[in-house]
Amino acid sequence: MAKTVYVGMSGGVDSSVSALILKEQGYNVVGVYMKNWSEDLPGMKCPWAEDLADAKRVAVKLGIDFKVWDFEDSYREKVVEYMLEEFRKGNTPNPDIMCNQEIKFKLFYEKAMEEGADFIATGHYARILVEDNSRSAPRREVCSESSSACLMRAVDENKDQTYFLYRISEEALRHTLFPIGEMMKPEVKKMAEEHGLHNAYKKESMGVCFVGEVGMKDFLKKYVEAEPGEIREIETEKVLGYHEGAVFYTIGQRHGLYIAAEVPYYVVKKDIAKNIVYVSKNLNNEELWTKELKLKELLLRSGPRPAGPSPRAAGANSRAAALRNAPNRSKSPFDISVRLRHRAPLIPTILDGNTLRFEHEVKRPASGQSAVLYDGEICLGGGVIA
Amino acid sequence: MIYLDHAAATPVADKVLKAMEPYFGELFFNPSAAYLPAKEVSANYEKAKGVIAHGVGAKASDLVITAGATEANNLAFTAITDGVLYLETEHVSVRRVAEQYDGQAIKVLPNGVIDLEDLKNKITDGVQMISVSLANNELGTIQPLAEIAAIIREVKIDRMKRGIKTQLLLHSDASQALNLLDINVARLGVDLLTLNAAKVYGPKGVGALYVSHDASLSPLTVGGGQERGLRSGTENVPGVIGFAKAMELAKKHLNGNRKKYTNWRKILLAELKNYELINKKHSLDNFVVVSFQGLDAERLIFALEEKGVYVATGAACAASKGEKSHVLKAIGLDDAQIAGSLRITFGETNDETQIHEAAKIINELTMRERARING
Repeated sequence: MAKTVYVGMSGGVDSSVSALILKEQGYNVVGVYMKNWSEDLPGMKCPWAEDLADAKRVAVKLGIDFKVWDFEDSYREKVVEYMLEEFRKGNTPNPDIMCNQEIKFKLFYEKAMEEGADFIATGHYARILVEDNSRSAPRREVCSESSSACLMRAVDENKDQTYFLYRISEEALRHTLFPIGEMMKPEVKKMAEEHGLHNAYKKESMGVCFVGEVGMKDFLKKYVEAEPGEIREIETEKVLGYHEGAVFYTIGQRHGLYIAAEVPYYVVKKDIAKNIVYVSKNLNNEELWTKELKLKELLLRSGPRPAGPSPRAAGANSRAAALRNAPNRSKSPFDISVRLRHRAPLIPTILDGNTLRFEHEVKRPASGQSAVLYDGEICLGGGVIA
Repeated sequence: MIYLDHAAATPVADKVLKAMEPYFGELFFNPSAAYLPAKEVSANYEKAKGVIAHGVGAKASDLVITAGATEANNLAFTAITDGVLYLETEHVSVRRVAEQYDGQAIKVLPNGVIDLEDLKNKITDGVQMISVSLANNELGTIQPLAEIAAIIREVKIDRMKRGIKTQLLLHSDASQALNLLDINVARLGVDLLTLNAAKVYGPKGVGALYVSHDASLSPLTVGGGQERGLRSGTENVPGVIGFAKAMELAKKHLNGNRKKYTNWRKILLAELKNYELINKKHSLDNFVVVSFQGLDAERLIFALEEKGVYVATGAACAASKGEKSHVLKAIGLDDAQIAGSLRITFGETNDETQIHEAAKIINELTMRERARING
């Protein structure tokens, strides 16, 4: 009997094509729209209804069942509240990572399994390597409970979304399919077009993921109370201007500063307690650069590295090792790499306890952002920058 | 394409478009300007208003031109300070305004027609206005406005006897019915009547409010004092010219169209399978509201769309932001009936062949959906 897959369908082309592929592979496919956020903000219309209609239209076209699951309360609690709390503390959190951890690969996964699904699937660009099958295999048919699964970067390096997925549980991974993980985005679009999916060229959503075309600052202004404060030059302590609230600013930011100056200033530090934003026009200011980063909430999928017996001895990782394409890295101690932002270049690093060390200075990411670790194409996990 | 959603929008008729065209070009003048060509535009504008007014048995000076029915409905409510009754099945543009005036809803009977007993019980001395649409936009249900007006007359006489001076006005939104009923403000007994060009093959964004001498309005926008000071802003000359032409055509084709639509309704109801008819009586001739028990109307709409057939639903769908139709709820339909409901509205883009074809396609798709559900 055909296995049942519940596909999270957002109305976008990626999840639509994922559903299409699974259907063509003979799965019993059920489309699910996760309603996570529906509130309109003044002057900004939340696109959920249109997205839902797009998803359902594709489901009807494919002739598959379609459900709408309302996760608004959980989303508000687990993602939005977390995000706002982090901002209030002066951090720059990543709501997408939280959404994957708490909603898509937890609530959605659990509910799908309860309803008798064998797998869940989403339209993420990522792959999964399962121990008992040599392929990352969207066509996976078996998955024993004892097998280990690990996350792998997508074939389309440009679209790889493992940065957002590093915190999802291994249990969920074992039961997840990423049907487009081995495709390039243009192929996905082409496939959508060839099958007459109307959203083949739908514009990708920008801005805060759950409120559509809204900048984070506009969103925060509605929920986070903030007082105006001073912008000071870090080297001189001179007051250069004023800001609308330190929480709205992120380290490294250079736009949206009300400073009359001919050269750009960068936010280098925030003093949340005193509500002061420190800036510098010197891109080489030491606050902006670092050779080490402390991580919290560290989560490593293949056992902590490099401590303990080499994880490479284990089955899954020997396969992972075989897949690794960087030859002869053993000479350098910086044998794993880290990504400090989605789509940022991979930087060689060493994980020493909770600290990442770099050979050369790196631009300091904002606290609250994630550092995601890779061994070749394998995503090892990561942590939140303290 | 088989377009069966004429209650949502109608295409601008060729003759309407042609009548409007010069006013985008050589006759572009501001009607308020002093020179002769502008005066000619002004005269044509007033003449057009006269045609629209005449279409409902009124005079040009009784009309305030608006940018559509929603604005006209909003403007109508400026006649009162408080105390309004409205039919629970009213369009959202009436309900939202009525809520601002602490409006109270009047019930409908299961056939969608106003419950006159409920109305009588609710007309307390504080009520200043009653708002009941001439024909409902989801069911096509025609309301007995003349009967309501008669009740209002009695209440007014009673109030006068008791020395109560509170006004009591009757407002009706006739947007849906302009080309399907013979409308006359005196016969209907209304004080305020909302008209809309966009549902009668005229341009979108053009409407009008008929205002009797008993109603005294306040402007929503102020400025140059156009429309008797009730709606400032340079006149939408092409829009009003187009509206007048559309009104003229509506009157001309009224009887022929009604017969045609009645016949199509019969054909469709005979050929469709496994449905429940919702708007059995008291309906505009071009409305067919049916429910397919156990099916999801939104899926049907998307499946029909693929075949080039366009219809509407009162089901909780994305288009209504997941909210079920308050109208279908008000007439006592259960959740499954509402979920499976389709609204089919005929119009001038259709011919009889299309009706047969639509019935065939709908039958095919409802069968396909039932097969999918039953595995």
